[in-house]
Amino acid sequence: MEAAHALSSRLGRITISSEAIAQIVAETAVECYGVVGMKGSLRGRLARARGRPSGIEIGRDGREVTIDLHVVVEYGLNLAEVASSVGNRVAYEVERLTGLPVRAVEVHVDDVRTGK
Amino acid sequence: MTAEADLELVRGLVGAALASLEASRGRIDDLNVYPVPDGDTGTNLTLTVRAVADAVATADAAERPALAHTVARAALMGARGNSGVILSQIVRGVADVLAESPNGVDPLQTARALRGASNAAYRAVRRPVEGTMLSVIRELAEEAERRSGEPGPLGGLLLELVRHGEEAVARTPEQLDVLRDAGVVDAGGAGLVELLRGLTGSVTGEPVPAAPEVASEIAGHDAIHLEPSRYRYCTVFVVEGDALDQDELEAQLERLGDSLLVVGDATALKVHIHTDDPGAALTLGTTAGTIDGVEIANIQEQQEERERRLSLVPTTRAR
Repeated sequence: MEAAHALSSRLGRITISSEAIAQIVAETAVECYGVVGMKGSLRGRLARARGRPSGIEIGRDGREVTIDLHVVVEYGLNLAEVASSVGNRVAYEVERLTGLPVRAVEVHVDDVRTGK
Repeated sequence: MTAEADLELVRGLVGAALASLEASRGRIDDLNVYPVPDGDTGTNLTLTVRAVADAVATADAAERPALAHTVARAALMGARGNSGVILSQIVRGVADVLAESPNGVDPLQTARALRGASNAAYRAVRRPVEGTMLSVIRELAEEAERRSGEPGPLGGLLLELVRHGEEAVARTPEQLDVLRDAGVVDAGGAGLVELLRGLTGSVTGEPVPAAPEVASEIAGHDAIHLEPSRYRYCTVFVVEGDALDQDELEAQLERLGDSLLVVGDATALKVHIHTDDPGAALTLGTTAGTIDGVEIANIQEQQEERERRLSLVPTTRAR
């Protein structure tokens, strides 16, 4: 398991793995308007080979989460607006579902899908 | 139809769509809980349509394909927010079809344009979610196709489509849990219908009245409960009378708490307020008229209960 993200509670520590967060990001990203695929870096493709979502890297900054995701967007959309909406939605869902504060979401538009 | 006449027609349609959206911008902002509850859907749709209006205002008369390209490009460049991006695809789908139509627009072309819009909108997402702008544009396309064989003027079809769109929007809480939980209809879908309402009014030459405002009343009421309140009691009641003064009652109630809503007409006003003194609020009601349907709930108790349940996980910070 990679870096665990911890929360303290009255009853003890709660840890949430990077894999768990990556799954939330992956589920959220495919519902985001304009996103037609995820694209992994070499590291991402290795992750996929191990059954983990591709194109997503989860990091930690103090107790805050940082997220990098690589997406493929449909041709003909306003890329800046799509990326900004994806970032907002991912940060919102991760905070809502894990309770962990999100420091940053970097959305990389790695490719554009053309043709119908 | 000359290029000049086409341009004038498009300017009129876009202007009417913009005016209709602008008029309901605040209401649509208030509905916005999905995908992120940031209350900006009405504003984003308005800004997107305004970009199109600005582009056609300065465009030169041109053949239809060039005009359609101008409109689609303005929507793309001017798209704001998630709803604006979806709208830009819808506009592009409509523009692509109408660019090819030689003369005028009839019900059959309207159906084809809406189908093109629906297909373009769906194409750009991997997992479409029902109960959103996407399902509303698709249902509009389906209804237009069902009716495209019926004789009659375009305005009649558009009026039917506005009604059908209102029904599709009213069904969104059944399709998407987050809307049902918040007690609202989908903001983007509602915006799309307002846009169509404006277009239709421009074609028929008469404003198209909205369906009864029941939905927005319920919506405003429940959406407000998503925010924490520093007051203890959620107080709801109806005031009945002959010549009720909504503004005056609102001004008097305002001093007692927050999350205030006063909606209705001169014979019946529904009041919603968060206050530490529900008695004082009810007294203002009985001074103005007779009161009915009183409900008082201790919201801090509800909030404390929710926080107890969530205490294992700290609440997320507001963004």
